[in-house]
Amino acid sequence: MLLQTPVYNLKQFPNVYTPSEDSFLLLDTLEADMNNIIQINPDFIVEIGSGSGVIITALAAFLKNTRCFATDINPEACIATTTTSILNNTCVEACNMTFLTCFKENVFDIIVFNPPYVVTDSEEVFGNGVARAWAGGIDGCEVINQFLKSLPNLMSSKGICYLLLIKENNPQKIINILYGMKFNVNIVKQRKIPCEHLYVLKIYK
Amino acid sequence: MLTSKCMKGVNIGYPLKIKAVDLKESEVDFNPDFISRIIPKLDWTVLISAANSIGKNENLPENLLPEYEKNTEFLKRVHHVLLEIDVVNGELICPESGRKFPINNGIPNMILNEDEV
Ligand SMILES: C[S@@+](CC[C@H](N)C(=O)[O-])C[C@H]1O[C@@H](n2cnc3c(N)ncnc32)[C@H](O)[C@@H]1O
Repeated sequence: MLLQTPVYNLKQFPNVYTPSEDSFLLLDTLEADMNNIIQINPDFIVEIGSGSGVIITALAAFLKNTRCFATDINPEACIATTTTSILNNTCVEACNMTFLTCFKENVFDIIVFNPPYVVTDSEEVFGNGVARAWAGGIDGCEVINQFLKSLPNLMSSKGICYLLLIKENNPQKIINILYGMKFNVNIVKQRKIPCEHLYVLKIYK
Repeated sequence: MLTSKCMKGVNIGYPLKIKAVDLKESEVDFNPDFISRIIPKLDWTVLISAANSIGKNENLPENLLPEYEKNTEFLKRVHHVLLEIDVVNGELICPESGRKFPINNGIPNMILNEDEV
């Protein structure tokens, strides 16, 4: 194992998403693709919607010479992320924001996002509370689509984005949208678990 | 790294001014190669004014030194200012709109209201 799953404790954070199959699939993907990540020599790494912070903390622990950032719309998740990073002796700078709206453009070499992807009513996407961790609205794609729109201005020229999806999000449709935006896209991992078929897209310029 | 240009009516929104109430200094392993790689990605004058505004200039020069990659002592000071000083509590202030973004426990709150975007 290159990437250790960090220790975490969410007892104080009842409203933060508990690392689940989707989180672990992303960790497995990052581990499997680590040679490529090392090759681009990343300086700035960010996880959007970091929740407990396990993914960005695992990266921060392994990739010592990088600056690792995390954002989440849930302030409790930002505190959970910092707490997890400190617990594992790493440094992750958490920031309470939507996507990467308040960062300078095109600075990130690696972007990781496990979005809210579950098919729900649209109202749930913009409500308050825990539902925002998973509620994705129509096709589970409402948050994902907003993210895709901003993607051209987020990554550095050598940047790579890892995005988690489920079958209901219609990965092929999303891939076509990304092709239309002149990105390269591969499905780098898939996993069927009871009730969900998970995919990870690797997106690069 | 942070800006408020995503706000309606704010064109540049950079650099944000920093008001520090509490600072924390910690020790981070020094890696001269990493610091040399990061320096060209920074806006040097912004770094200096940020360091000044929190009272932690560490004698950094107004202009970037030539051949800084070879100057370990200089790289150490940049390392300290960049990586070892955290604003634990304070605020970031948009240079154009004056909008304040609070920092609590080292976490800036940059969530904007609907009427701001
Ligand atoms: C499925 S959870 C993933 C949590 C964690 N990354 C993991 O893999 O265990 C999605 C996270 O994204 C956050 N989130 C939802 N919409 C967001 C947005 N527009 N910007 C930033 N974070 C968002 C939620 O608060 C939640 O923590």
